[in-house]
Amino acid sequence: MATEVPANQHPARDRHQLQTLILAITLLLTALLAVLVVIASATWLNRYGFVHFPLGFYLLAQGLLIFIVAVAFWFIRIQERIDLARSEREGLG
Amino acid sequence: MIPSRLRTPNPHLGAYYGIVTSAFVSLIIILAVFEQLGWGRLLLAQCMMLVPLALYLLIAVGSRTFEVEDYFVSGRRVPPVFNGFALAAIAVGGVGFLAYTGTVFFLGFDALAIGLGWTFGMLLAAILFVPYLRKAGSYTLPSFLGHRFRSRGLRMAASVMQLPPTAFLVVAEIKIAALIAALFLSISFSIAVLVLVALIAAIAILGGMRSLTWTASAEFLVGAVGLTVVVTTVSIILTNVPAPQLTYGEMFSSLHNAEITAGLTPLVPGGLATALPGAMPAPTVKPFLQPFGSLGPMDFATLFLSLALGTAALPSLLMRSGVTSSIADQRRSTAWGLLFVALFVMTVPAIAAFTKLIVFRDIALASASSLPVWLTELADKHLLQAADANGDGAIGAAELLIGRDGIALALPWAAGLPYVPCLLMATAALAIALAAAAAHLFTLAASLAEDLYRVLDRGQALPRLIAAWAAIAACSLAAAMFLMIAEVDPLKAALTAFAFAGASFFPTLLLAIWWRRCTKWGAFAAMTAGFLVMLGELVFGGMLGFSNAGFTTSLASLIGALLGLVAGVTVSLYLHKPSQGEDDYYEEMRDPEGEAIYDRAQARTAAQAAARASAAAEAAPSR
Repeated sequence: MATEVPANQHPARDRHQLQTLILAITLLLTALLAVLVVIASATWLNRYGFVHFPLGFYLLAQGLLIFIVAVAFWFIRIQERIDLARSEREGLG
Repeated sequence: MIPSRLRTPNPHLGAYYGIVTSAFVSLIIILAVFEQLGWGRLLLAQCMMLVPLALYLLIAVGSRTFEVEDYFVSGRRVPPVFNGFALAAIAVGGVGFLAYTGTVFFLGFDALAIGLGWTFGMLLAAILFVPYLRKAGSYTLPSFLGHRFRSRGLRMAASVMQLPPTAFLVVAEIKIAALIAALFLSISFSIAVLVLVALIAAIAILGGMRSLTWTASAEFLVGAVGLTVVVTTVSIILTNVPAPQLTYGEMFSSLHNAEITAGLTPLVPGGLATALPGAMPAPTVKPFLQPFGSLGPMDFATLFLSLALGTAALPSLLMRSGVTSSIADQRRSTAWGLLFVALFVMTVPAIAAFTKLIVFRDIALASASSLPVWLTELADKHLLQAADANGDGAIGAAELLIGRDGIALALPWAAGLPYVPCLLMATAALAIALAAAAAHLFTLAASLAEDLYRVLDRGQALPRLIAAWAAIAACSLAAAMFLMIAEVDPLKAALTAFAFAGASFFPTLLLAIWWRRCTKWGAFAAMTAGFLVMLGELVFGGMLGFSNAGFTTSLASLIGALLGLVAGVTVSLYLHKPSQGEDDYYEEMRDPEGEAIYDRAQARTAAQAAARASAAAEAAPSR
């Protein structure tokens, strides 16, 4: 049995905003934690090597940058899916 | 009015910029041939630097406009990759190109915090701010805050608080550009400042954001070609592999040996205030790979976070949030910008490591009486000074004073390349500095015209474009005069600017975009708290000994941002609730569908004016 949605409720909008918020927090916290963990353990990581670089140095100079760029492009993909889902839900509504 | 998402960019843009790049590469080849044929250095420098400057001016003339929407948001039809070019050029700037490279040379590992901060800041902006600013569609950052909270006062306050960060960046970038021009074109610093300021003012006046976009794209390509050609060539010479980002690690054992021979020993971590190298030539004291020798891990994290917040909330970057045709394109363009910035940041340690290796290796092999030729040439250019102070017949690290901002320019010289690659590196740095300087100048002037003049002068005696032109002219003149009478350290000015932007605008934008309950007084409190902390640090920092106590600019910026966030939340909760208008704006801004809010409002106003005119015309014959 179909139920009527009250005029002051916007399930598609609220779901979209919640998903957007969760995505933003997850991605930014992941990237920030990765950076802070590498900074905190850089001296220890430098004991290990990676393609002729000390690992701690490599991660701060290149590894984290590659990770951040990957996160940015992945964010675009996921956010576009979330936006599309809202449009479809609102279209159906 | 055509909806922005249906506007198609010029399909020939790729071909045009392919031609621009090919023309620049051809110029390099022709000048390399003429150098072998015996052309003088000054003539080569004039051709290498002035031809691209003429090209930028030509592009600006070609993209001139009298349309308000073209002037302020480039008609909202810039393809994402081209906006990414401009974003990267603005984020890096001449300060990043020269001063950051020099800082990595001096501090090695410890300076990586700066590049990492820029990159993470671009990610913050891409996720937190840019899509929503695109949906709002306001022409400037203060006007967005004014529209979001329905407040002219907040808009004017934001415009005033935007002055310090943008003004610091304008003078820092112009100084870098003028130093390069004065060094290679044999003109005085003052003349260089006047010529370059006139050039960027002309570009900004001719077409506003439109001409800035297309000249910045060309400048980015010139900068990228120059940097890539020189660093790849040096990489081939030193490692036989044309991939500097991957191969400079192989040089670390040789670099370590050269540093030991030159007398460099590991340092004990000091405070941030004394750790960053100044603009004057100084000896290198820290081994390249030593972690946390100048900055401790906390200082490193503080510098990283301060730059990240500052980059995310930098008005000059966020002002470009309305130039693409849709929210999705705007997100993509920021990701492209982030990619280009990351590629540059990954290349900088290679430049610094190569330069340091060559400098210390050659100096260890030479006696004080027979220094390498490149060293004499660099000393003539005032990029470094070497003297056998202790009379032991050799030059040690302590006796070699190196100019921070000359490191990138010194690499092709030290690697023994001909003069044209040296000019190529300088032309690349000049191009990026000009792109950034013009963007900061336009941000400053557009805000003065749109957010102060248009709000204060209700009668609006001057039309919008004329007010913007006047503001650009006035800001250019002020920047030029300031640079002629004041001594500016570009790196410190830029770091202070980022700190101001992070403290004042990051918490304000975060609350305005992500918290429905935020009110205009909350936004004002957030912005003012951060701004006042930074102003206090700037004015009283040295006098009250804050710097010695560890309250550096970066730390003050983080404290300001945190205080701003707390003040914004507290004031919003304790004073009245947001109005229905503010609530509606928030909902519209968070909806990814539909036209920009500002464009819809403009279209409504135009339709109402047309209806009034039509009604008046119908009424006229009946009278």
